[in-house]
Amino acid sequence: MAAQNADSPRRWPFESLLLGLSAVFLGVNFLALDLLRPGVNPLSRWFPLILWAACAIVGKRVLDRRLPGHDPVIFPLAMFLSGWGLVLVERLSPFFAGRQTLWLGLSVGAMLLAAALPHLLRWLRQYRYVLLVAGLGLLAGTIVLGTNPSGQAGAPKLWLGFGTIFFQPSEILKIILAAFLASYLAEQYPAMRAAGLGGEGRRLGLSPRVFGPVLLMWGLSVIILVWQRDLGMAALFFAVFLVLLYIASGHSLILVSGTLLLLAAGVIAYREFGVVRLRVDIWLNPWPEADARAFQIVQSLLAFAAGGIFGQGVGQGSPVYIPVVHSDFVFAALAEEWGLMGVVVTIVCIMALFARGMRIGIQQQGRPFQAMLAVGLSTLLAGQSLLIMGGVLKVLPLTGVTLPFLSYGGSSLLASFIIIGLLLRLSASETGHAVHP
Amino acid sequence: MTTEIILLLLRCFSGLLLTGVLVVLFLAMWRDFRSVAGVVEMRRRTYGRLVVIREVDGHEVVTGETHPLLALTSLGRSPTNTVPINDHFASSEHALVAMRGGQWWLEDRNSRNGTTLNDLPVTEPVVITQGDVIGIGQMKFRLELETP
Repeated sequence: MAAQNADSPRRWPFESLLLGLSAVFLGVNFLALDLLRPGVNPLSRWFPLILWAACAIVGKRVLDRRLPGHDPVIFPLAMFLSGWGLVLVERLSPFFAGRQTLWLGLSVGAMLLAAALPHLLRWLRQYRYVLLVAGLGLLAGTIVLGTNPSGQAGAPKLWLGFGTIFFQPSEILKIILAAFLASYLAEQYPAMRAAGLGGEGRRLGLSPRVFGPVLLMWGLSVIILVWQRDLGMAALFFAVFLVLLYIASGHSLILVSGTLLLLAAGVIAYREFGVVRLRVDIWLNPWPEADARAFQIVQSLLAFAAGGIFGQGVGQGSPVYIPVVHSDFVFAALAEEWGLMGVVVTIVCIMALFARGMRIGIQQQGRPFQAMLAVGLSTLLAGQSLLIMGGVLKVLPLTGVTLPFLSYGGSSLLASFIIIGLLLRLSASETGHAVHP
Repeated sequence: MTTEIILLLLRCFSGLLLTGVLVVLFLAMWRDFRSVAGVVEMRRRTYGRLVVIREVDGHEVVTGETHPLLALTSLGRSPTNTVPINDHFASSEHALVAMRGGQWWLEDRNSRNGTTLNDLPVTEPVVITQGDVIGIGQMKFRLELETP
């Protein structure tokens, strides 16, 4: 490392280093899986790792060429976590591994498009209403035509099915929403910030210009909640919106009132909807129903306990006792097989992604749209991770969102990688340091 | 037997690799934050000083208290200002001195008791130059610019 350091004192090859470490880590774990389950066709066993490596190499090459100044940490972290996700899928439900690997290839392709397509940011701004209407249309379509891949009666119908391919529109909607909010608020930014430079003072904080959209967003979240029973997404949309509005306006009143609105919605939902009541009840005390309705969460806690500090080793624990462990409860499986160590590394990686996103936002301070897009997208990633990690650990009521990169799920992986692509693009674009007018 | 030993070794190795990821990540972020801190420090260069003066018998006397002038300098009673003012007549966010378009501007931030420039009240942003006296509450500041 010293030689490289002497060669280029400013830039260490952190990106290659992290990608290399991840590749070795994945190789070790796939090897262990291979030893544990002999007799599987080696090509199909190693296929995920091979495609992962191809994605990493192509991704790095393209990014180096198209975005020379991009953030060196974001891409390897996303690849590391998604590769780990492949190991988990391969271990938990090998039947889905091939499918998830193909989704990974598609997602990295989408990420590169999002990172390198010229004029993309301008289009996002220009056609924001078109995008928003299209996104809401998809959502409405899901309300009418939605299905659930598991085919269970009564399960939330959040997917659109095309033959054997299922897609969850709310994953894409969250990106569209973040872009829309960023461009809307960037337009309102001068008016909102005028308070900071003398002029009308603080009374602006109470004007309908600020509170109108809050109520609108709240309504949208409630619609998602009522029609789709998609607690996690509703909470996430609203939280991201609050954060963006707070950053745009600087009024802490927004955070307070927004949190109160969210709590009010929660209380009403608790009284009205069985799903919500069930989630809250088993969050408060799962033990009386440990073998019935709270089976999943109790098994998840036991998995965490079984993992200990260093974990049972890949393929050597028994996380498959947890129902649907490969999607929502993937974090519990990770905890059982890699222990506290794996948990800490996962949390650090996700928080590092968040920190980088925020840093990109600060770097783009002079350009409100870019800054708020970066903040919104990284808040989406971090918020979603917090919701599900807290849910699995029984710190928060369980909300059925995926853990970005790690959970099984094509649309979630695709959306997460598009977010990464946009963040990379923002990190590479020249910074606007002009003092705002 | 041998498989178990290999598995144990692989487990240890995978744990080591996880630690390695943490270390590299930490190094990457640490180096980056350090370089950013350097940039920020550079950008915080001062452009001059705000010298606190007091009037005694009609003469302006320098009290010896000075504040560095940044590209965006805020004055007020709140400690978050770049120039905190300990004066009952000052609002918490009282006034702003900012470099815009190559000129220095003084703005009153809607303060309760107002800001003065050379003893005249400031109602809208005004351009200020070398030697101008900004009055906030009972405090007066003289602008002393550094020629670059």
